[in-house]
Amino acid sequence: MAKSLPRIRRLVGQPFPRVDADGKARGTTRYLADRHYPGLRHGVVVRSPVPRGILKAVVPDPDFDWTGIVLATAKDIPGINVVHMHDRTMPLLAEIGGEIRYRGEPVGVVAAKTPELAAAAAARVRVEVDELPPLLTLQEAVATFKSAPARFDSMKNQDIVKGDLAHGFAAADEILEAEYWAGHQEQLYLENQGLVVVPQKDGSILAEGSIQCPYFPVHELNDPLKLPPEKIRVRQTPIGGAFGGKEEYPTMLVGYAAVAALKSGRPVKIAYERHEDILFTPKRHPVWSRYKVGFKKDGTLTAIECDFILDGGAYLTISDVVMFRGILHCAVAYRCDHVTIRGKVARTHSVPCGAFRGFGAPQAIWGIESHVDAIAARLGKTPDAYRLQIHARPGDRTPTGQILSKENGATDCLRLALRRADFARKLKQCSRGRLLKGQKKYYGVGLSFFAHGAAFTGDGEAKFKAKGRVELALLDDGRPGVDIRVSSTEMGQGVHTVFTQIAADALDLDPARIRFPLADTALVPNSGPTVASRTTMVVGNVVHRAALDLKSQIEAFAALRHFRGAAARLRGSRLVAQGGKSVPFAKVAREMLAELGGASGFFQFELPADIRWDQTTFKGDSYPGYSWSANVAEIEIDPLTCEIAVKRVCAVLDIGRVVNPVTAAGQVEGGLTQALGYALLEKIGTGPNGLYDAARLQTYIIPTALDVPEFDVKFVEYPYSFAPPGAKGLGELPMDGLAPAIANAVAAAIGVRLRRLPITPEAIHAALHPVSGGAP
Amino acid sequence: MSIVKRTWTVNGTSVAIRAPAGRRLLDLLREDLGLIGSKESCGEGECGACTVIIDDEPVVSCLVPVGQLPDGTDILTIEGIEKKRAGRLLRQAYVECGAVQCGFCIPGMVVGSYALLRKNPRPSAQAIRAGLAGNLCRCTGYAKIIAAVKLAAARLAGRRK
Repeated sequence: MAKSLPRIRRLVGQPFPRVDADGKARGTTRYLADRHYPGLRHGVVVRSPVPRGILKAVVPDPDFDWTGIVLATAKDIPGINVVHMHDRTMPLLAEIGGEIRYRGEPVGVVAAKTPELAAAAAARVRVEVDELPPLLTLQEAVATFKSAPARFDSMKNQDIVKGDLAHGFAAADEILEAEYWAGHQEQLYLENQGLVVVPQKDGSILAEGSIQCPYFPVHELNDPLKLPPEKIRVRQTPIGGAFGGKEEYPTMLVGYAAVAALKSGRPVKIAYERHEDILFTPKRHPVWSRYKVGFKKDGTLTAIECDFILDGGAYLTISDVVMFRGILHCAVAYRCDHVTIRGKVARTHSVPCGAFRGFGAPQAIWGIESHVDAIAARLGKTPDAYRLQIHARPGDRTPTGQILSKENGATDCLRLALRRADFARKLKQCSRGRLLKGQKKYYGVGLSFFAHGAAFTGDGEAKFKAKGRVELALLDDGRPGVDIRVSSTEMGQGVHTVFTQIAADALDLDPARIRFPLADTALVPNSGPTVASRTTMVVGNVVHRAALDLKSQIEAFAALRHFRGAAARLRGSRLVAQGGKSVPFAKVAREMLAELGGASGFFQFELPADIRWDQTTFKGDSYPGYSWSANVAEIEIDPLTCEIAVKRVCAVLDIGRVVNPVTAAGQVEGGLTQALGYALLEKIGTGPNGLYDAARLQTYIIPTALDVPEFDVKFVEYPYSFAPPGAKGLGELPMDGLAPAIANAVAAAIGVRLRRLPITPEAIHAALHPVSGGAP
Repeated sequence: MSIVKRTWTVNGTSVAIRAPAGRRLLDLLREDLGLIGSKESCGEGECGACTVIIDDEPVVSCLVPVGQLPDGTDILTIEGIEKKRAGRLLRQAYVECGAVQCGFCIPGMVVGSYALLRKNPRPSAQAIRAGLAGNLCRCTGYAKIIAAVKLAAARLAGRRK
């Protein structure tokens, strides 16, 4: 028997300290703005001054001194003027003679020695447009949908059909119908969008910056830049928050900067200031949904019919997939045999909407979770008892026909949240529009319950086959260790930390010997974008398996080299074998680096072979796994000012295996806070001039430390056994359901249900004091 | 624009300044003095990412023109905070409590926390919320930041006894 060695403590499941926190807290971490680029030019985007029209001319002012300044327009685009995205309809820069579709649509890029000079020059470019009448808002689009559906301009339609809706409604004792609205939401990462494109001698480009998905520009800009993927190299700088906001948009920014960089032959940096960032980058899609639900006297749901329309803005970009995720979350959490959901993406002449944490799910869950509460009220049932009665359980079929697996903590989440929040007792204290004895403020408690489909929709992961490597390397201290090579980006969510834990456990190696460099497409295989709550679940499994692959290579080498062929094991950072003296990992790793030139473990993700998905009919297994959550919100409303204070929030979540309870709780608290902002504070819309009407931090209000409640966050673990260590999605789930929980609490406090987000004090006031004759 | 010449103390060291009077303190710190820990996010004094301490008061450096600060002004940035015991305790507590995510607001947040603890060494949770209300964070929901300030305050008080 080998001598017993101290085993490295198992790290998965532990509150392992963040590997990137120290430099960030010292202020030494270098974000894009903290880096120096020799010969740099600063780029400023020239934009359309009107929301819609035909572009006639882009004319630099001849009275301005253009010496040393470059103006790139559509005619400077080396290849075909289109950004791939999902339908290849959006030009990189608007063409003369082409249609302008939103105010601020890029028509050119100015590059100059200083940001001030570039801004001054951009202001001296005359953009001539023959104006056309725009359709600016979802309200207008929905009005058309209702009054003249044939004229409704939908960029994408998708239905989900289960059973027979007519049959379901015929079986109902009662039918409840209502509409739910929510507006835009800005991601408001603290670090604004920014990146640098450096032209290389061989005609290729290097893009570096605050980029959530480094492989997107590599595969989306081949047509306009006339460069194959291998000639577009993208590197991540430390990202000061993204939340989806730096998912698809940086691709366009790389394109703008690249056109100017290729024309000038110099590195070009485009870094937005806050105002420009809010005005012209994608937001969460506004939504209108209409639920019509049939139910029996005992509460059984017999039919769910839902129209679900997102405001896509001027171009589709990625809105089809956002809508897909939306409709897949419209009715997934409840038992019902007859379901029809019709999703659409409305075209408006506004900035294209895009990815934001939740990706359609918060919009869907906002509607259904309000509506289920309304049905419970109609039935005279409590919100908690009613959800316990009708929620989906293992073995149930979802609207797409997927059978929910046993790895499902839905019921636990619901029961535990209700118990921890003491919901049943608190429900009796709700004011319902009349202050109870001892109350100075209206009090309400609200519940929501929901799932989030983890990873890419449908067979996305099966087709994508995420790849990753774990390889031997000399680390910064000159001693051997391993590098994690995947394209997942650290944006604050903690992936560098949890992947370090996963790799350390798989290798049984000191975590200090594991390094996770920032993603660089020249050095990492494509493990997919850092989106869709897929990273720990899917890429975490890739890292786990690649690390095991490397481990077996190290063990095989050590067996021959040090143990005369006897089976060796890497254990506690040492190689051990029966009858032999253990050898340190560092020694074996040095030998492998010197003699073999290194070693690399590899894995490519695959889904179970029995996954079935039909992308045209939307039938089958819509997600590899589901995370679940229940939220309880307690609120108070001042009867005089109508101010709403969220006092306590309890969230219980099943995210599968919790790799790091501290980073996971941090994700939850942060997501809940964004959802609180969505529910109550964050109000922004397209104004009559085509611009967002809250374009700075003075007017776009996000939660401060004074606005957040006490959080009670608890996990129940139903691991995804197919993909060790067994995580399911985490990132988006906390954003999904707090808004309806708060809205349900508001209804319990004032006795009126509000169906439009955000719920502002003005809306509360209008509900409490309806103009006589007007509807609340 | 008129050029001003000043002598300040920055992070404990005397520094001679020559700059346009209207230059933002934030730009001067970052570009001329290389103190990149102070971050710009909103550029209009709403977010607190550029918070520094001027003569014992937390100030958003994006709104301070250089000409406004007389000779002898004492400026403390995140880089100087690290030289103070309370600053190091705060940094350690932020790391231990999981209060750091994307990190972009954190230097300003730590500077704000330092200023808070100077005035109120044992702040309640509500005092911490109020003290940091001018520092926006989009990642954390503030819970772990509040916990970190409490932990640092407790350690600071423990040693002082």
